[in-house]
Amino acid sequence: MKIVVVFKWARDPEDAAVRSDGSVDWRGAKMAAGEDDPAAVAAGRAVAAASGCSVVGLTMGDGDASWALARGIERVVAVLDAPSLADNAATADLLAAAIRRIGEVDVVVIGDAQAYPGVPAALAGVLGWPAVLGVSTATFADGRLVATRRIDDREQTVSLGLPAVLAVAAASAEKQAPGMKEVLAARKRPITAVSLADLGIGPPGGLESRGKRVPEAGSARIFEGSPASTTRQLVAALRADGVL
Amino acid sequence: MTVEGWVIATGVRRLGGMVSVVRGMGGGVTVAAVGPRSVAEAAAAAGPDAVAWIETAEDVPAEAYASALGRALAAVKPRAVLATAAPQDRALLGAAAVALGAVVIPGILRMSLQDDTVVVDRTDLRGRVVETLTSAAPVAGLFGGEDIPSPAAATSAPIERLEVSSPADIRIEKTEPVSGADIGLTGAERVVAVGRGLRAKADLALVECLAAALGAEIGCSMPIADDFGWAAKDRYIGRSGQHISPRLYVAIGISGAPQHLDGVRDAKVVVAINTDPGAHIFRRADYGIVGDLYEVIPALQAALGEDQSRNTEKGSSHE
Repeated sequence: MKIVVVFKWARDPEDAAVRSDGSVDWRGAKMAAGEDDPAAVAAGRAVAAASGCSVVGLTMGDGDASWALARGIERVVAVLDAPSLADNAATADLLAAAIRRIGEVDVVVIGDAQAYPGVPAALAGVLGWPAVLGVSTATFADGRLVATRRIDDREQTVSLGLPAVLAVAAASAEKQAPGMKEVLAARKRPITAVSLADLGIGPPGGLESRGKRVPEAGSARIFEGSPASTTRQLVAALRADGVL
Repeated sequence: MTVEGWVIATGVRRLGGMVSVVRGMGGGVTVAAVGPRSVAEAAAAAGPDAVAWIETAEDVPAEAYASALGRALAAVKPRAVLATAAPQDRALLGAAAVALGAVVIPGILRMSLQDDTVVVDRTDLRGRVVETLTSAAPVAGLFGGEDIPSPAAATSAPIERLEVSSPADIRIEKTEPVSGADIGLTGAERVVAVGRGLRAKADLALVECLAAALGAEIGCSMPIADDFGWAAKDRYIGRSGQHISPRLYVAIGISGAPQHLDGVRDAKVVVAINTDPGAHIFRRADYGIVGDLYEVIPALQAALGEDQSRNTEKGSSHE
């Protein structure tokens, strides 16, 4: 039994510059560790600790893959030439192909990235495995995955038979980033590189862009003037809206 | 040939908005309602032509029916399927997308069918860009637009049970109220929340006074509760914290990180007070004041006081 933790699998939307004509310049941005990636690593390690099985890290692109090694993942596989794709299902196809190549995987843990919300769902679909998304914590007991997640104002604990996909949403910023010593040691460890050709993945097709544009300016009315003036205007507006 | 468009829902949020977007495909709209009967009834009232209801067994979460729903949809072959980004709805959409051979696109604002090609507008890069995409394959979309109230239809759509194969092996072990669910934040009509613009814990008193003047509950952004520990964890508003839906939300010194905005999606009127005119929060806000909270809060309290006394006078002059 193996657990795969997927990390650094998408670009950070903040790395993109949007020009006034709506065109987007990614300025060579690489796949970056997402907000939820540290929580995914923590959940993957918790399941590993409770089940006694090994964890393999999986990353897309040629970014610094030692990020996961420095966080206690034993082995990392990187799909070096993985592109960034508009279709979340195509990204999921790529991840699924890499997971199948790693082989004998029973659990996939991935950060439930807000900017790419379709990927974990489609990944479970491609693998044909049950999935629980928006998970806060995970462990393993009596041969089943146990996960907690929040639905409205309730916390729900669910258990899943294997194999399964868990998408983890961070409940806080990373608490214990690795120190320089761990980072340097991690950089010395080998990474297994694979290519799209190894995975038998061709270019994706089907989705075409007819163009991008900057959305009409937000409807926010910004009040001008001194604090006394802006706050009076605000109160008048709220009164007019009937919310005071 | 009629074009089928489907909405997948495990809850009652944004149904009207989603049905309206799928209508853009020019054909019939069916809602696949996965959950208790109340979900199917809410779906039926949201303006679709039909509701296909999968009743979930007790102690089985909706996503256990994902592949069963996928198989059912594969038989119908809709060109468009839409769901909210809520985790359960997404899990169902993912299975449906793969069963249909669909592309999966988040942030969907509009859908249509032109020359047998699905054309969608989607918002991307945290709302900074709107892109028009075309797909020969069916499109499974996550809804990125605003809700619209369901039409006040005299008749609601017929509900038919969708008989599906057995669910996947997922069980609900227990469900507990989240600590803090009873503090009134989630149901509050008015909420004032503070973020990293606050310089010291003692200054929370300033925010408390404003909240008292507004009759509002107090919330905060994640760092205030998590990194600084200045407020109880159950006061934090965001994706993994409290989800609020007040009529008035005042965000003070909060930059508006995506995970925070997720928690205030259902707020009606949003006021942002921030020193940084470029802060994300102003994109979500209805009203904004660019300024230092230490100057703006006292001024706002004074303005509220003036407003109060003026209103009281008006009230008494009518009598």
